[in-house]
Order: sequence, then C-alpha cells, then structure tokens
Amino acid sequence: MNRQIWAVVFVLLLTSTAYGMQTGDARQIVEEAQRRTRSGSQRYEGTLQVIDAKTKVTEKRWLFDRTGSHGDSKAVLRFTAPAEVKGVALLILNHRETASDQWMWTPAIARERRIALQDRSTRFFGTDFSFEDLEERDTNQFDYKLLGEESAGGADCWKIESRPKKTKSSQYSHSLLWIRKDNYVVAQIENYKQAELIRRARYSDIRNVQGFWTAHTIEMEDLKRSSRTVLKLEKLQYNVPMKDEDFTIQALRRES
Amino acid sequence: MLFRPLRLRMVERWRVSMWSLLALFVWVLPAAAQSYTQRGFVESSSTIYPQAALNDSTHFVSEALLRYEGSLKLSTAFQVSGALDIRTDTHHQTERELDLSWWDRERRRPLAAARRLSIVYHRGGLSIEAGKQFVRWGKADILNPTDRFAPRDYLTVVDNEFLGITAARLTYEKGRDTIDVVWAPRFTPSRIPLADQRWSPAQTPPSGFILRDGGAAFPGGSQAGLRWSHIGSVEFSASYYEGFNHLPLFDAQPSFDGVVPVVTLQRVYPEIRMLGGDAAVPFRFFDIKAEAAYFNSGNPLADDYTQYVVQVERHSGEWTFVGGYAGEYVSSPGTPTVEFAPDRGITKTVLGSVRFTIDVNRSVAFDTSIRQNLDGAWLRAEYSQAFGQHWRATATASLIRGNPADFLGQYRHNSHAGLILRYSF
Repeated sequence: MNRQIWAVVFVLLLTSTAYGMQTGDARQIVEEAQRRTRSGSQRYEGTLQVIDAKTKVTEKRWLFDRTGSHGDSKAVLRFTAPAEVKGVALLILNHRETASDQWMWTPAIARERRIALQDRSTRFFGTDFSFEDLEERDTNQFDYKLLGEESAGGADCWKIESRPKKTKSSQYSHSLLWIRKDNYVVAQIENYKQAELIRRARYSDIRNVQGFWTAHTIEMEDLKRSSRTVLKLEKLQYNVPMKDEDFTIQALRRES
Repeated sequence: MLFRPLRLRMVERWRVSMWSLLALFVWVLPAAAQSYTQRGFVESSSTIYPQAALNDSTHFVSEALLRYEGSLKLSTAFQVSGALDIRTDTHHQTERELDLSWWDRERRRPLAAARRLSIVYHRGGLSIEAGKQFVRWGKADILNPTDRFAPRDYLTVVDNEFLGITAARLTYEKGRDTIDVVWAPRFTPSRIPLADQRWSPAQTPPSGFILRDGGAAFPGGSQAGLRWSHIGSVEFSASYYEGFNHLPLFDAQPSFDGVVPVVTLQRVYPEIRMLGGDAAVPFRFFDIKAEAAYFNSGNPLADDYTQYVVQVERHSGEWTFVGGYAGEYVSSPGTPTVEFAPDRGITKTVLGSVRFTIDVNRSVAFDTSIRQNLDGAWLRAEYSQAFGQHWRATATASLIRGNPADFLGQYRHNSHAGLILRYSF
C-alpha cells in the first residue's frame, strides 16, 4: 500500500515539476543559449544572397561589428557591396528594457535617418531581414513557454514559444524557437503575426569559434514574398578590441 | 605688368599642387595603404525637353560624370578623405578648361573639382574635421531651413546637388547630446542657372532697357554656426548661424551705354543671421518631422523672414510616404529686387513623395510640389533598376506647370524626361 502511495506522490511530483519546467525552464534554456554566446565583441564579414520568387540572385556584402552583448550591445553594419551602396551603414543601440534605437547613414546625402519603431517591419535594404530582425533583445523583454521537443536542422531541439511582453514593440505577435540540445545554438526561428507565419530563419553550418558555437549560415525566408536571403558569416572573430566611440552617429559620419 | 606673371605663377603652383594631390589619392595611396577604401561611379545622363524655352531652344542635353571617393586611415585617430568630380556635357554648362576647382565659385560647373578633401581627428567623443567637406544640418527631407552650410548646384533647378564647403568643424558627442561648431573662412556660393539657359530665373528688364550681367560680389568674411542636438525617444536640435546666404539677390544698377539705358545685375550674397531648430517625434503609425528657422539680415535688399516645414512620414512594407507643408512668413520685407531663392520658391507649398520598392533591384517613386495658390506645380516620376553588381538605370519624367510669375511656374517650358545610366565601382 505504502509503495502505491509513494508511486502516486512520485507521479504527482513529476507532473508538477514538468509543468514548472515548461514555464520556468523555457526561460532558462533561452538564457543559457544567450549566456553561451555572451562575448565582449563580435566581428564578421557577411555575404548575402537575396533570392527572389523567380530565383533571381542578388549579392550584397556587409561588415558587422558588435560591442557588448545581449540587451545592451551596440552594433554597426556597413555595406561593402554592391558598389552603389558601399558606405551605407546602420547603427543599432540595443537596450535591456525597450526596443533598440537604429539610425541609417546614407553617404550620398551625408545624412543619418532614424528608423522609427513602426518602420522596423520594413525590409532592410532589399534583403529578407527586417530592421527588427537585426536587433538583439534581452530575454526580459519576452515571455517563454516550452512547447516540447522537436528535431530541426537534423538535431534534437527544444521548441519554445516566445511572446514580446510589450506587444506594440514588435511586428511579430509571437515566435517559435528551436534551440539545439547539444550546444544551445538556435537552429530555427519562426516569426508569426497572429496565426500567420511571416518569416522563418534557419541556422546551419554551426562551428566553434574561440569557444562560441556559432551558425555560419542564416537563411531568412519571407513567406509572404516567397523570397529568401542567405547570410554567410566569414572571418568571424570574437572579443576583438573595440571602442564605444565607434558606435555613435558621429562615427557613422566619420567612417563614411 | 610685374604683378601678372607672379599671379600666373601662383595659379600654376596651385594647379600643380591640386593635381599632385589628386594623383596621390588615385594612384599612390591605394597602392601604399591597406586601410584605404574607395568607391565611385561613372554616370551618363540624357535629358529631353520637348518644349523650347524663351531663352534656350536646346531640346537635348547630355552629361557625363566621373566621381571618385577615397578615404585613408592614417592611424586610429586620423583619417583623410577625398572626392573628385570630372565631368563634361553637350550644353556648355561645364567649363572646358582642365583646371581643378577647389572653391566652386565658377558660373559653369568645373570640368574637374575637388568635391571633398579633409582630415579628421577624433578622440573619445571629440571629432575635428578640417578642409573641404559636407556639413548637413536639419531633419526634414523636403526643405531644410537650418541647413546653412550646404550650398547647392542649381544649374538644373529641380535636380540639384550639394557642394562641399571649406571649413573647420568640431563635434563633441556625449551620451545623447552633440555639440557641433562650424567655421568656414571663405564663402562658397550656390551655383545658379546660366543666363542663356532654360533654368535661368525670369529676369525681364524694364521696357527699353538692356540687361547686363554684373558678375558676383562675393562676401569676404567668414561664416560660423553652432548646433546642439539631442537624440532620444524624441530627437531635436537648436542651431545658430551667422554668415551669408549662399543664394544671391540681384543688385540692379541703372546706367547708360551711350544713349541706351542699361540695367546691370550684380549677384550679392546678403549677410544673414539664422536661429532655428528641428524635431522628429515618433507616433504609433507615423513620424512627424518639423524644422523652422528665423532669418535676419542687415542688408536692406534682403527680407527678414521665418521659414518652416512640417512633414509626416510613414514606412509600411515596401512603401514610403512623406507628405508635408512648407511655409514662410516675411516679418520685415527688404527693398523689392530680383532674387534666386529656390528654398523660398518652394514654400507656401504642399510637398509629397511616395516610393515603392518593387524588389531588391527595382523601385518607383513619385514626388510632387504644388503651390497653395495653385500658381505652380512640379510632378516627378522615377523608375530605377539595378543590373548586376555595378549597373543602374534610372528613367525620370518631370512635369512643370504654372503661372510665369511663380517660382515653379516660370519653368513651365522645362518639363522633361531623362535617362541616367550609372556604373558604380
């Protein structure tokens, strides 16, 4: 009899722990994924291939510098190709509590333009990334829910739903994240507007660089336009010495 | 006679030093320095004017431009940036003599011009730039009353381009605030349309008089300005400028050539003092940008006036909408005279712009300016397409209509269509 009671208690405990894990561990998993990518800085050369619905390919290149890490990082992205957009740059100042501040510098008119919050759903320079997709947000800005386990990109993953706490701050109502169990690298993200899937990002070619497991290929698919952009990271480096003064509007102007 | 050869020698030295500088940027630095970046383009543009203008019967104008820009990082603190334009055209809007222009004071566009050549020093939040450079103030897109260090090339009034100025600029950025101090020792005027060409402002002499060009009286003093700007959820700035208007007034001097009465028009650039500000306020569905400036002049020919612009901006998907109103209030009129003031010419005007990005390579745009009294209107349509990594073709069509007394309306014979081919490198 005692054995039966203990068995019931054990099952109950297990069930309640599993429920706690669904809500609590989803955040822990995302936080662990972010913790593992926390670095002083990051630099890479990105090659983008924009493939439209008619499979026409357009190539762009940018240089990406980031200082700081999730939540309070600063990043500058400068186009190096094609030739006509060489020098166009985007400054992103990420914040812990709110959406990022973004400014775009256009050398041809020697002016910066702030990217307003309601403009973040706009495609970034003809790619399938929106301005919002380029920002890094802190986990505190989202609520997470563990939906289960599922395979993505050939690896076992946790499937997690993420919802922005301030719904007005994002173009997406919610996102689904697939985080690999073996190295906590994000394998896939699906971004939704209510029930409609808007964009899907697939992360592949995962390699360890200076102790950081990093996807070297990101494929962003715009399901409305049936187009996709493949971003390949080259010459990736972490913890490169960088100065805060190089992540300002004046630096955008100076370096143009 | 003694002075002239000395002056010629100085001019020759200037030419040699300018061309040496050019050679340094184009050939020596790229080969020698790893931290050298460069870009540029070769562009050919052709414009068809279906109607003949009163003073210009040419229907077809073609231009070619080579622009080269280079930047060299000397160290983490120092950087040198330069840009060169070489151009020609079929309508003699460009000088034919191969001089390298620095000051941009020629009536015609120079065949070769140093568009930019400046050295930048920066340390922490401090940046100091000296040399020929571009200084852009203001936030609005359709008219910038506070943009006082930005003369333009108005040879083709509706398709104008900024000219660099020779100046020293100190910028100090701390957190969300920036102080910008600019001092320009020598005046750079805007380039105004040529008298014998279709974009020349209508200048009708009194009956029986002959009009003569009296050249320009360029002011000798320097210009200075100060701007404080703040970025945050709301962006704003306040600016002060003391210097000269880069757009001229025409000082009319009557005289006699024998028995023929003559009016000589001399371009004068009145001193002005400007106090202005701008702001950008984001709302849930759109942004509002506003800019205003008060201008005061000691020159009795010039008006004291306030210029302002309010615009609403919205990006949605592939669409960009900008619409607004530019206004002006003259608080103290000057002596009535002829002036060339495109900035004032598009006030009391409703302005709008719509742009649609078709795909990664193609876009269309429509711009319009309509005077509130409907005396002038300008509509422009543009289609642009990129081909591969280097080529872009842009087709434009502009329709200009209105009353001859109106700034836009005076160009009613200048509706045109154009094709621009650009190879970027």
